Amino acid sequence: MIAYVIRRLGQAVIVMFIVSVVVFGILHLLPGGLVRAQLGPRATPLAVHDLTVQEGLNKPLVVQYGIWAWHALQGNLGFSYKLNQSVASLLGEYLPRDLLLVGVSLLFAIAIAVPLGIWQGYRRNRPDDNALSTIMLIFYSAPSFLLAVCLIVVFNIWTNLLPSTATNFGANVGTDVRVLALPVMALCLGNVSYFSRYVRSATIDNLLSDHVRTAIAKGAAPRRMLARHVLRNSLSSTVTLVGLTLPYVLSGSLVIEALFNFPGMGLLFWNAAQDRDFPVLLGVVLVVTVATVVGNLLADLGYAALDPRVRLR
Amino acid sequence: MSQDVMTDPGKRPVLQVQNLRTEFRLRSSTVVAVDDVSLTVHEGECLGLVGESGCGKSTTGLSIMRLLPRIGHITGGKVLLGERDLTTLSEAEMRKVRGNDVAMIFQDPMTSLNPTSTIGVQVAEPLRIHFGTHRKAAAKRALEMLDLVGVPNPRERMDDYPHQLSGGLRQRVMIAMALTAQPKLLIADEPTTALDVTIQAQILDLLDRLREELSMAVLLITHDMGVIAGRTDRVMVMYAAKAVESTSTAELFEDTRHPYAKALLESVPQLTASSSTLLPTIPGQPPDLTNLTGGCRFAPRCRHAKPDCGTAEPTLEELEAGHLVACFHPVGSEPEPAADAPELAAPAPEPVADEAADEPAAELPTVVQRVQAVLGITLEPRPAEPPPAGPPAAAEPVGAQAAADPMSAPVLVEIERLFKEYPVRRGLGLGFGPPAASVKAVSGISLTIRRGETFGLAGESGCGKTTLGRIVAGHEHPTAGTVRIDGKEILRLHGAELRRGRRQQQLMFQDPYASLNPRMRVGAIIREPLMVQGSGNRRQQWERVAELLGEIGLSRRAMDLYPHEFSGGQRQRIGLARALALNPGLIVADEPVSALDVSIQSQILNLMKRLQRDHGLTYMVVSHDLSVLRYLSDTIGVMYLGKLVEYGPADDVYDAPAHPYTHGLIQTIPVPDPKIERTKEKAAVRGELPSPVHPPSGCRFRTRCPLAQELCAQQEPPMQVFGPGHVAACHFPLQPPTTLEPPPGVQLAMTDPRGDA
Repeated sequence: MIAYVIRRLGQAVIVMFIVSVVVFGILHLLPGGLVRAQLGPRATPLAVHDLTVQEGLNKPLVVQYGIWAWHALQGNLGFSYKLNQSVASLLGEYLPRDLLLVGVSLLFAIAIAVPLGIWQGYRRNRPDDNALSTIMLIFYSAPSFLLAVCLIVVFNIWTNLLPSTATNFGANVGTDVRVLALPVMALCLGNVSYFSRYVRSATIDNLLSDHVRTAIAKGAAPRRMLARHVLRNSLSSTVTLVGLTLPYVLSGSLVIEALFNFPGMGLLFWNAAQDRDFPVLLGVVLVVTVATVVGNLLADLGYAALDPRVRLR
Repeated sequence: MSQDVMTDPGKRPVLQVQNLRTEFRLRSSTVVAVDDVSLTVHEGECLGLVGESGCGKSTTGLSIMRLLPRIGHITGGKVLLGERDLTTLSEAEMRKVRGNDVAMIFQDPMTSLNPTSTIGVQVAEPLRIHFGTHRKAAAKRALEMLDLVGVPNPRERMDDYPHQLSGGLRQRVMIAMALTAQPKLLIADEPTTALDVTIQAQILDLLDRLREELSMAVLLITHDMGVIAGRTDRVMVMYAAKAVESTSTAELFEDTRHPYAKALLESVPQLTASSSTLLPTIPGQPPDLTNLTGGCRFAPRCRHAKPDCGTAEPTLEELEAGHLVACFHPVGSEPEPAADAPELAAPAPEPVADEAADEPAAELPTVVQRVQAVLGITLEPRPAEPPPAGPPAAAEPVGAQAAADPMSAPVLVEIERLFKEYPVRRGLGLGFGPPAASVKAVSGISLTIRRGETFGLAGESGCGKTTLGRIVAGHEHPTAGTVRIDGKEILRLHGAELRRGRRQQQLMFQDPYASLNPRMRVGAIIREPLMVQGSGNRRQQWERVAELLGEIGLSRRAMDLYPHEFSGGQRQRIGLARALALNPGLIVADEPVSALDVSIQSQILNLMKRLQRDHGLTYMVVSHDLSVLRYLSDTIGVMYLGKLVEYGPADDVYDAPAHPYTHGLIQTIPVPDPKIERTKEKAAVRGELPSPVHPPSGCRFRTRCPLAQELCAQQEPPMQVFGPGHVAACHFPLQPPTTLEPPPGVQLAMTDPRGDA
């Protein structure tokens, strides 16, 4: 198990290296290079030359990569001239809010989807299952921005129950729970429909399996059968799904954050993309890559924890 | 022996099923899966319920437990447990019965235990459910139960998960679990079908012992007449949802009255059967339960059928005290029909049946498949298997060339010092470096197979026999050693040469459901090898396909159908046709009939024999079923944990085995004769197969051998000769060795070329 984690982390380092090379490559593929991106098309040749030397851009690419990687390892991801702040400090400011948003929405999604999916699997093809399936299909097929707009209309414009945007540039995110409510709901609903569909089919498979028949033959009541003999078995396949969804949720929050003016990484990325603020964009890409790797690892570990047959080697 | 326990006043009936009727309601039709079945099981008694797939025996068991799938409904009759009628109980009341008064064990111990929960918890669960026993007290009782059913080191096993145990141990755990709450009745649904014969004998002995100790009633559901003969007090034979014969076990085997029961008994390959005759078969298929035409359900397949059999349905009637038969013309009551004799002498070729293609059964497969899927059983009614005009002969010599003088035919396959090891990764396992350990699947096997003969390879699962078969077929590369076919070393071939070489040897698979691509038409499946090998043009290829279909007894129109439109037996025929397409010299058949019912199995075995005779084929048949091997084989090899322990002419090996393992294997096969079964030594092979990662030193069988001594642990026994062409590797053989020459290709001193033995 420990050997497995070490090896997976080793693989993660390799993945990170490749991603960093790609990211670095993109950086230098920009038309006109980094300097033009920062100074704009109308900069004087002298200014271009000065900045080139200052940034070390006249050195060989390999050396430049080495310097960039060394800095990145130390947490120095460059400097945003647009926001006049280091990328690291920007991420440090935006990422926690994002983790809160994504984490809470994922937790809610799982907490709702698992019981729902098990119930639907247990009641498969009965009217209540069909009704729930239809509702879930709507949530699943509706784009998240549409859901978000609907939520704003219902909870803010019609009933004025919840605020539609975070005010004061996110200062109240940690203190006012109501600010989180709508973005969390918008992110969560799509995942609920996605996860619950999975749990439902895993439950149906499990209910038809021999060991559940054995449990019923022992005299287990439905509640016990579901809790002891179906739940854990159905979860093991779902946990993989959740782990793999993590990066999507992180990047999927982009539109939602823009809509709710929620000051998370999505919004940071959105603004940076509009401003052609490349160091920030690249920093976000790196963070999402790390999240992908970590999500995968967590999924595998969770799977092994739930299913004793899986031995991680 | 033919005492009638039904009227025995000393025993109280535990279970009385009266006129039970169970239906499966499908979207477009209703299948009556159990039709008017009545049975009684007394205290301490074992009632056997026997029949082929889809006859309703398992559904009867599930109906008693009310464990039917959603589409199943009990629509008539009573299930009396003592005074209570289980069919009228509410679901909550029924839950108190399940696992408490009545317990059930299922066929597949691999899937019937919860993989995510420990053994201890699962065995204790019935107590927790029914008596609310405290966790610790329940665990203590579970420990006692594990000890009772003979799980070694039960204390350590308590915290194991099911996947850490072997199949035999898991079935013991299932039994422990079923008996924890001390039920009055145990329903055992094919409890040993998924297990090796050696383990089967142990499990059945255990069930016998526990039945006696706990004076429980047992309903034993099985397809195996041998198990019935040895373990039951009374038997009920079912066919197409109906009970056709019911009597005491001794009476059934002595005086079989129903033609189906009789035919079923006859079509089981016997250990004593000569391999030079064809097996008697039951022609055709069981009827389609969605579409019954009235009259006796067995009549279309019955040798004794008269016109009145087709008009009215016979009911169970008491012919003698306690012997019930549902037949208008029971066997023995009338002179044998004259039609019997010509049937037996008729030549084997089966006519090409056009009925098979006439009704592709548009609705039936889906219906049947659904029932199969939910029940986990196989119903066979499909497009009818060709009903042979003259059923195959039972007295005709086959395999003539081989039988003439098997010892002088030229050698086709030479296997020399073959090793196959699969590395097991350990530690950081970065995918390189020497493996920490390996599974020793094949450890230094040398033998030869002669042209035109059938070589049977026997052994328990995990002994390496399938691996050896796959290497010979060229589908796996050995770690060391050579395989020559027709003098050519097949393992040296590469690329185009290898592909051409594969024409010579073809595989026939065990599972007729998984081995045919469900999205390809049958014609395309059979044509594929011809296309791959570029043999002939398009027209010639299709002609060849039609010819092959004729050979296996299917109509040309089968070409346009998909595999799911055929029954298991027909699919196995298609698999055989595909293997035959390229005119191979050698067919490696891995468990060719073990997925099939007895009556269908004998059809396939006869077909294999006929094709061998017509085409001069050489077979290498890998099987755990020694009766099937006895019937098919000229030469037998017995493998144990990667080693060849005995090899020789089939008759010699069966009649006078030299190796204690061979003797044990033969002893444990259930024989359909109560007199033999009752007097047999219990479980002739003890314990379970040791790990092939760390095989025992010296003789690998020594840990389970009743004759083992110190020498066996120190030295690997050399091959010794026990008769013409008959060798075995044992320090203490069951007969004295001779000084005859060994058969060609068999080394007496078995030395490992890499010296790690």
